[in-house]
Amino acid sequence: MTTSHDYPLIRCKGLTKHYRKGRQTVTPLSALDLDVPRGEFLALMGPSGSGKTTLLNLIAGIDRPSEGILEFDRHEIGGLSRGRLARWRAAHVGYIFQLYHLIPVLTAFENVEIPLLLSGLSRRERRERVENALALVGLADRMHHVPSELSGGQEQRVAIARALVTDPPLLVADEPTGDLDRESAASVLALLQQFSAEFGKTIVMVTHDPRCADAAERTLHLEKGKLLEAEEAL
Amino acid sequence: MLPLSYALRNLYRDPARLLQTILGSALVVLMIMGAAAINQGMRETLDASGAADNVILLGAGSEESVLRSEVNERAAGIAQAAMPGIVEVAGRRAISPEIQQLTYVSVGNAKNRRALVRGVTPDALLVHTRVSLVEGRFPRPGEVMAGRLSWRKLGIPRQALRVGEPVQVEGVPMILSGLFAAPSTVMESEWWMDLNDLRTQAKRNNLSSVILRMRDDGFADADLFTKQRLDLELSALRESDYYARLADFYAPLRSMTWLTALLIAAGAFLGGLNTLYAAFASRIREIATLQTIGFRPWALALSLVEESMLACLCGAILAAFAAMLWLDGLAVSFSIGTFILRLTPEVAFMGLGTGMALGLIGAIPPALRCLLPPLPTALRAAS
Repeated sequence: MTTSHDYPLIRCKGLTKHYRKGRQTVTPLSALDLDVPRGEFLALMGPSGSGKTTLLNLIAGIDRPSEGILEFDRHEIGGLSRGRLARWRAAHVGYIFQLYHLIPVLTAFENVEIPLLLSGLSRRERRERVENALALVGLADRMHHVPSELSGGQEQRVAIARALVTDPPLLVADEPTGDLDRESAASVLALLQQFSAEFGKTIVMVTHDPRCADAAERTLHLEKGKLLEAEEAL
Repeated sequence: MLPLSYALRNLYRDPARLLQTILGSALVVLMIMGAAAINQGMRETLDASGAADNVILLGAGSEESVLRSEVNERAAGIAQAAMPGIVEVAGRRAISPEIQQLTYVSVGNAKNRRALVRGVTPDALLVHTRVSLVEGRFPRPGEVMAGRLSWRKLGIPRQALRVGEPVQVEGVPMILSGLFAAPSTVMESEWWMDLNDLRTQAKRNNLSSVILRMRDDGFADADLFTKQRLDLELSALRESDYYARLADFYAPLRSMTWLTALLIAAGAFLGGLNTLYAAFASRIREIATLQTIGFRPWALALSLVEESMLACLCGAILAAFAAMLWLDGLAVSFSIGTFILRLTPEVAFMGLGTGMALGLIGAIPPALRCLLPPLPTALRAAS
C-alpha cells in the first residue's frame, strides 16, 4: 500500500502540451510520464526547444497542459482555472527566474514581502518572516537596498528569499545560475541544496549547465518533448 | 492586493513620462473645465436675463429678435392706459418703452466697436429690477450709461470706463454719466442712453419693444391686449421665454465649444494613452512575475489603474490651479452680451471627474496589453 508520504509530490501521466504557431501546431511536450518524490532536488537538462521550460511551467502552474494528468500532492491541477491556479501557486510554489525578476522600485525587504501580501499575515508576522528569509540567504544587511544597488548574485539570493518566504513545498528554478559568475552560482546552488536537505523542499530546476545539474540529486534529460532513458542521456 | 506604495513608486520610475502624463491630462482637464465654464456662464446669463414677471411686447412676426422688432410708438401709451395687471411702483406703472440697437461705440481714442445700445426712459428701472447704479447717475439727454462689463466688448481696459469720459455713439459725442450693474445678465455689457436721443440718432419713428412688469397672472392680460389691439400688430412674450429661445439659438454655439474642447482633449488623451502604453509595456515581464507569485490579474489591473489615476489626478489638480489663475473671473463676450467665467463647484467637479475618468479609461487598454498575454510568453518579454 502506498502511504501519503510515499506518493510523489508531483505526478505527470501522458502530459502533453500543444500550441499553435501560425497554421502549425507545435508540441513541445509529448505524452510525458514523470514522478517527483517529496523533498527531491531534480534537475532537468536538454537542448533548447527540448521542452524542459514548458515542463517546468506546467509543474509550476504557470501554464496548463493540453492533455494528460498533472497531480500535485494527489490533486489534479492541470484543469484549474487561471484564477484558481494563481491561488494555488501563491500557496504551493516558489519560483526562481534566471534574470531574478525583482521589482526595481522596491527594496530587497519589500520584494521578499510581496508574496506574503497574499497570505493574510499581520505586518509584524510578515516582517519576521522576511527578515528570517533574508538572513537565510545571507542578506540581512541589505534589506533596504533596491535591486540596482545589489550585485547579480545578491539579486538572485533576494529572489530565492522571495520564493522561500511563504514556505512553499515546491521550488521551481529556471536557469537560476544562468546569469551569474561561478562564485555566485556556487552559492546559489549551495542554498538550493540546503533547502532541499534541511527543509525538505522539493526542487525542480532547469539548467543547461552540467556542473549546475551536479548539485541536484537526480538529473533527467529531455529531447523533443520526451524524457530520455538514463543510458540514452549518457 | 498590491499596496498603494507600489503604484506610487512606479510613478517616479520615469519622471519624463510622468511629466508627460500629468501635462497631457492637465490639458484635457483644462479644456473641459474651460468649455464647462463657458457653457455654464452663457446659460446662466441667458437664464438670469429674463425676469419671469416681465412681459415683452414685440412687433408681430419678430418674436425671435428684439433687434428686428418694430413697435408702434403709441403702444406704450395705450398699454399704460388700458392694460390691467401691470405692477405699480410708488404710483407709477412699470412700463418701459425701449429701442435696442447694435451700433458703434468708442470711449476716448479707442477704436469703434459694435455694442448693444438701449434707449430707455428712467422708468426702465421699474421693470429691470436687477439693474442698479454703481457709480454716477442715470443718463440725461447727451449722456450715456455703461454696464460694468461693457469694456470687454469694446476691447478697452476696465479702467477706461470713467464717469465724465467722452464717449461716441455712432459718431455722436456724448458723456459717460454712470456705470450700472445687472448681475449675471446680458445687460451688464450694454450701453443705456436717453430714448429720444437714440430715436433721433437711429432715425426711427418706432420702438423695438415695450417691457411691462406684470403681477403674477399678468401675462394673460398682456396676451389678451395684443389680441384685442390688432391694429398695433403686437405679440406678447414672457421675458424669460424670450431669453430661453435665445439660449436655444445659442445651443449650437455651446455644442461647438464642447466639440472643440473634446477634439483637443481627444488629441491630448491619445498622447497620454501612448505614454501609458510605453510605461506599462516596459513592465509586461514584471507584471507577469507578480502573476506568477499569485496575484490575480484584477489586482494588478487595479494597481495599474491606481497608478494612472494618481498621475491624472495630479494633472487635474494642476489644471484646477491653472483655471483658478487664468480662467476664473475672465470676461467672455458673445454677440449679445458678456459674462464672467466662474470656477463653480460644478465646473471643478467636472474637471476632477474628467481627470479620474481619464486615469481609469486611459489605463484599461495598456493594462489589458500587459495582462492578456499567456504567462510563459509574458515572462520572456523584454524588460
